Amino acid sequence: MNQFNISPGLRTTLFVLMGLGLLSMGITWFGDDELHTRFWSNFLHNSVFFTGIAVMASFFMAASILAYAGWYVAFKRVFEAVTAFLPFGLGLMVILGIGNYMHLHHLYHWTDAAVVAEDPILKGKAGFLNPNFYMIATVLFVGIYIFLINKIKGLSRSEDNAASDKDFSIHKKQRFFAAILLPVIGFTSVILIWQWIMSVDSHWYSTMFAWYCLASFFVSLMCFVALTLIYLRGNGYYQNLSQHHMHDVGKFIFAFSIFWTYLWFSQFMLIWYANVGEETIYFKERYDNYPVLFFANIAVNFVLPFIVLLRNDTKYKTGTLSFVAIIVFLFHWIDYFLMIKPGVLHTAHEVMGHGGEEAHGAAEHGAEAAGHAVEAVAAHGEHASNIVSGFTIPGLLELGTMLGFLGLFAFIVLNALSKAPLTPKNDPYLEESLHHHV
Amino acid sequence: MANHKEVIYGLYNDETELLRAVKAAKNQHIEIMDVYSPFPVHGLDPILGLEESRLHIAGFVYGMLGTLTAFLGMTWIFTKDWPVIFGGKPYWSVPAFIPITFELTVLFASIGMVVTFYIVSGMGPGITNNYLDDRITDDKFCIAFDKSEVSESDAQAFFQSTGAAEVNVKHIN
Repeated sequence: MNQFNISPGLRTTLFVLMGLGLLSMGITWFGDDELHTRFWSNFLHNSVFFTGIAVMASFFMAASILAYAGWYVAFKRVFEAVTAFLPFGLGLMVILGIGNYMHLHHLYHWTDAAVVAEDPILKGKAGFLNPNFYMIATVLFVGIYIFLINKIKGLSRSEDNAASDKDFSIHKKQRFFAAILLPVIGFTSVILIWQWIMSVDSHWYSTMFAWYCLASFFVSLMCFVALTLIYLRGNGYYQNLSQHHMHDVGKFIFAFSIFWTYLWFSQFMLIWYANVGEETIYFKERYDNYPVLFFANIAVNFVLPFIVLLRNDTKYKTGTLSFVAIIVFLFHWIDYFLMIKPGVLHTAHEVMGHGGEEAHGAAEHGAEAAGHAVEAVAAHGEHASNIVSGFTIPGLLELGTMLGFLGLFAFIVLNALSKAPLTPKNDPYLEESLHHHV
Repeated sequence: MANHKEVIYGLYNDETELLRAVKAAKNQHIEIMDVYSPFPVHGLDPILGLEESRLHIAGFVYGMLGTLTAFLGMTWIFTKDWPVIFGGKPYWSVPAFIPITFELTVLFASIGMVVTFYIVSGMGPGITNNYLDDRITDDKFCIAFDKSEVSESDAQAFFQSTGAAEVNVKHIN
C-alpha cells in the first residue's frame, strides 16, 4: 500500500479532538479574567509548539538533503507532510501579531506603549520588541520557509515522474534550495523564538534560549514522526521499512534529548553560578512557583529517554518506542508551558495592577497565590498549596486545547501525506534507504 | 601449550568476496575455524552466528563507576575533607559538580572499554601475536579452516570455487 488514506475512524477521532480543543478554548475564554490571559497564553503556547515542529521538519529536510543522507528517503514524505502545517502555523502567529496591534491580548509586556515609555530596559529593546518587527519577521521568515520548502517538496513530487533514478538533475536542484533554506532557518528561527517565546519575559534574555527551544522542537518532531510511522506500519503501510529505520528515529530522540539536556543545563548552570539578579529571576520564578514541573521537565525529558532508549533493542520495539515518544512529546509541550506561562502571568499581573482596578481574575489569583505561598507557609506553619490549575500546572482545559491543536496538526499532516505516494520513486538515495542497515 | 594445529587458509582481495565465501561455507556446512579482516566487515557477525558483543555493557558499568567516583568524590571533598565556599554557594552545590561528573563518566567508560577490549582480544603493549599472514592486517581478508576438521582437498575446492587469491597451509601453536 503506497497510497495513504485517512481512515474514517481516524478522521472522526481527529475531528473529535479538534472539537474538544474548540470546546476547551471556549470554556477557557468565558471562564477567564478580563484580559483572557489563560486563553491567549494557551493559544500562544500551542501555536508556537506546533509551528516550531513544522519549522524543524523543514530544517531536517534541508539538512538531510545537504548531508547526502539516504536512510530517511523511503519515508521522507512524512517529513514533507509535517511541513504542510507551516502555512497554518503562520496564520496562527499572524493572529497573535494582529493581537499585538489591537491589544487583543496582553502576552507581551512590550506591546504596552505606556509601560515601555517609563521602562528603560524595554525602551532600550523597543527597536526589536515592537509589533511591527514581530509581524514583519513572522510573515517574512515563515513565508521564506514556506516558499523554499514548497520548492523542495515540488521537486520531490516531480521526481516521481522522472525517467529513472540515474537522473540527478532534480536532486541537484533540491540541493540548491536546501542550501539556501538551511542557513536561513538557522539564523532566522532564532529571531522568531526571541520574538515569539523569549519576549514574554520581556526584561530577561539568554543567548542559549533559542538553541534550547530548537532542540526541544526537534525532539518533539522526532517523537511525532516515530508515532506516525508506528501508526502507519501498524495499519499496513510502509512495510518496506525495517526495524533499522525505527532504530534511527529512536536514536534521534535519544541523541537530541541529551542535546536538549545539555543546553538546558548549560543555560541553567551559567545563570545559577553567576547569580546576577536580572538573569536568575527566570529560574527563581520557576523554581519557587513551579517546583513540580521544573524538576519533572528535566527528569522526564532527560532520564526517561536516556535510560529507556540506551539499549538498542528498545529503539525498535514498537511498545517501548511509542511509550517514550508519547511521554517525551507531552513533556516537551510542558517545557513550553514552563517557558511561556510565568512570563504571561507576570505581565497580566502588571497590566491589571497598572489600571488601578480591583483584579479578581484567575491570572491575578494565580500570581497572588503563587507569590504569597511562602508567606502563607510561614504564617500558618503548614504547607499552603500554591498550585493553580491552568497557571502553575496545566489543567484539563490546557490538555483539551493541546489535544485540539494536536488533532488539527495531525489532520493537516496526514491529509498532506495522503496527497502523494508514501514511498517516493526515482530518488537517487531510495535504494540506499530501502537497504538501510545499521 | 602443545595445542598444535594445522590450518589451511585462503586470502581474498575484497570484503564482498569474503562475505560471499563465508555464506557459501555456511551453506555447504563447512566448519570455519576463524575469519580475519583488517577492519570490521558490515554484516559478517550475523552470518558467522557470532553473539552480540558485551563490551557496551562493560562500558555502561565503567561509566556508572565514573559517575559515582566523581560525584561521591566531590561530595566528600567539598563537604567533609576540605570545605571551601565558592562564590557564596553551598558546600554541596550539585549543579557545579555535573560537568566534572559528566567528564569522569566519559573518561572511565572510554578508557575502561579500550582496556577491556585489549585484554579480551589478547592484545597490549609488549605482546606479540602470531598472525596467519601479515597481510590480514593490511588489505587481505582471510578464511581459515582447521585441517583436522576440513580435508585439504575440500578446502582447496572451496577456495577455488569462491575465488580466493591465494591458499596457504600453516602450523600454529
